[in-house]
Amino acid sequence: MGISVASYGLQYGCFIIEAGLILYLARSNQLKTRPTPLLYLLSLLVAALMRAFVLHEYGLASRQYFYVYWSTDFLLVISAFLLVCFFFRRACRHEEKMWRFVRLLLVFIFVLILGISGLVFSRNYKDLFPYFVFEFNENLYFTCLVLNTLLYLLLQQIDSADDQLGLLVCGVGIQFAGPAATLALVHLTTAERFAQALNSFAIPLCTLGMLLVWAYAIVRVPDTASEVARPKVPVLAEATADLNV
Amino acid sequence: MILAALILILSTAMFFFYFQVTCQRILRRQFDREYFQSIVNANRLEFPSLRKSLEEFGAPVDYPRLRMMLKCDFLALTYLLKNAANVNQRYSNEERLLILYFRWQFLSLAARRLLKVGEKKAVLKLTSVLQYFANVVGQRVNTVRFGNLTAADYLLNL
Repeated sequence: MGISVASYGLQYGCFIIEAGLILYLARSNQLKTRPTPLLYLLSLLVAALMRAFVLHEYGLASRQYFYVYWSTDFLLVISAFLLVCFFFRRACRHEEKMWRFVRLLLVFIFVLILGISGLVFSRNYKDLFPYFVFEFNENLYFTCLVLNTLLYLLLQQIDSADDQLGLLVCGVGIQFAGPAATLALVHLTTAERFAQALNSFAIPLCTLGMLLVWAYAIVRVPDTASEVARPKVPVLAEATADLNV
Repeated sequence: MILAALILILSTAMFFFYFQVTCQRILRRQFDREYFQSIVNANRLEFPSLRKSLEEFGAPVDYPRLRMMLKCDFLALTYLLKNAANVNQRYSNEERLLILYFRWQFLSLAARRLLKVGEKKAVLKLTSVLQYFANVVGQRVNTVRFGNLTAADYLLNL
């Protein structure tokens, strides 16, 4: 009883913060310049609401819940990958050459994951949807975690001044790493009740952690990405110096 | 089985790595001036002298006393964070995260002490958290003191 109340509390806490952040982003100017965090938050909220609705209507053991759960998981994984791509784009804002290479690499990785996940077709001809989606989601999710870590290292390497991006990346890291560790532990453990409790607590807790870090990054940390941009037109001092010559 | 164990180890390591990096990024926040000095003086906090002795002299410190100093400063500062010039009388999100980080580092200090690895580094991290808290409290007190007053009002009230 206590565990389920706490679990519901965590879920509702996540709903409220997600909705609050979406409203904040929609009302501020960041909507036009930074659409991908908003899209990711929207997909989180839509997935959570759809799951809650179908669970309430049809129950945990129903086929409808099964399909909705895995379809929304697919949506979340795709939007997570897009989010990481967007963060790479933002990190390489002033490094066009690097971005061209990174873009190719991201496309290659996506195709590779698609191909590896497609190998299940050779093993299972029946129930293609669940098998493919399980495999694809698992592979792409862990890839996102690895890519996010590479992005963090890239930010350190190029000595990025974009503090907001750094915090957003850290938030995503918490969101990806926590559930990955939890699911691996659930896979390894034989105690079902412990695994269930862990699953219902740890994953929403990580989402909550990410949302709180994002809230801090978006609301409190100024977006310095545009400030550090090299001006395309000459600044006043350069222009006047040219005139003197 | 092996793959799951590998993913578990890697993901757990990454989780703690991101947690630590997030806290360090929050601690990097620049304040417009050193607000912590006034709070340290007013409350006779000991962490600046502790940090100075570690940074400059690398002096070996009596471990039980060091723990007590850090703990006392932490309790005083968390009390001030919640109650001094704080209208909501509750911690903000980043303060909660840093409190968690402090406790985590405090635990790791005991482990480092046992293993005799990187003890000084852990103490410096703990003092940086305390300095951040003192800066936040100092900034809040400063805002409340001068918040509703214009420069002329303030001078007239002197």
